[in-house]
Amino acid sequence: MDKQVYELKKLWSNKRQLTFQVLNLAMIVFSALMIWKGLMFVTKSESPVVVVLSGSMEPAFQRGDILFLNNAVHEVHVGDVVVFKIKDRDIPIVHRILKVHLDQETGKVELLTKGDNNRVDDRGLYAPGQLWLNRDDILGKAVGTLRYVGMVTIALNDYPVLKYVLVGLMGLFVLTSKEG
Amino acid sequence: MAKKKSNSSTSEPEERSTASSNDEAPTIPGYVEDELELLQVDLGDMVKMKQVLDEAVVLAVNQHVEEEHSWDNWKLLIMFAACVAACVAQFVPIPFPESRPILGICGALYFILSGILQFITTFIDKDAILLTKPLENAPKTNADMAKYGMRIRSQLPRFSEWYTVIVQFQLDDKNAVSPYVEQTWSVGQFFDKEGYFDEVGLAQRVDQLLERFKAGKFDEPKSKKD
Repeated sequence: MDKQVYELKKLWSNKRQLTFQVLNLAMIVFSALMIWKGLMFVTKSESPVVVVLSGSMEPAFQRGDILFLNNAVHEVHVGDVVVFKIKDRDIPIVHRILKVHLDQETGKVELLTKGDNNRVDDRGLYAPGQLWLNRDDILGKAVGTLRYVGMVTIALNDYPVLKYVLVGLMGLFVLTSKEG
Repeated sequence: MAKKKSNSSTSEPEERSTASSNDEAPTIPGYVEDELELLQVDLGDMVKMKQVLDEAVVLAVNQHVEEEHSWDNWKLLIMFAACVAACVAQFVPIPFPESRPILGICGALYFILSGILQFITTFIDKDAILLTKPLENAPKTNADMAKYGMRIRSQLPRFSEWYTVIVQFQLDDKNAVSPYVEQTWSVGQFFDKEGYFDEVGLAQRVDQLLERFKAGKFDEPKSKKD
């Protein structure tokens, strides 16, 4: 422990070194952030990577799968798996498009979705009085998936104490690897 | 944990003239033996060892000549600009679809700046650990020292015990080859079995190397194997 304190004191006394180390750390964090923003930019989607939370799309997608989304698609078609958000609700839903109504003159599109594993279409989920989804409600079309990798996110969400355990373990790892 | 060691070193006693070097030190009342706190390093941690050696070399050279900070300042500026770009991208108060152009610009800016920084570190800095300003009263044997600053380089290959320090000029023309002095030591000369570091010993060797440079006794370039 005194070695860490010694290193910290040495760093504090040399402001130039300290600035370098702080900026270095910031760049590491920002690199991850900028990759995320880059994905957002390219896919035109608010949330380019999502985790499947329910079993309503089985057997295609299970709870815990990661989905990669692309919203830079111009049209969505019947059969596409899309992620959409209902107005004023937080949680996005991943289901398949069942019907597409295209108004040839105005270009306006109306969509109806349904989960593969559900008995009925999603009208019951939409906002009261809403019968169709619009293109704006769609966050993106699913273009790729990673099985089960999202289980970590689900676990962290369901058992918040795990977040502290994980951060604690990482902190311990950083400290002990510096000793070595 | 630092070990307290008295000023009499165990390596080459004939080089040292110490205040209290014998076991039969005089017990003069009020006399305090000069104790040195030594840094201890894990001998398996090669990165840490090189870092400790480099820091000691920099400290030793800084006793004679001032450090040149301009490249460092440029790097700091670039890093700071990249962080600003990232913060702007993160905290811009415009909601997503409209903020897309800003995200694009900031992202591109960030990666370009990051790339420049990486380029500087890999191709321009290479193995340099210190850049110095020109020496004001340059010795006659090496008058160029008043014109050019020095570039101190160090090498400690992975899993090797040989630590090399090279002192040469920081020339303006990047393609010019500078005369240099070079010295290689085994790390065993500065670290004992338990990892205690002999900073004073290294400082003395660095001083000798600098004297050689000042005297203009440059090394002959070795045949291609470097």
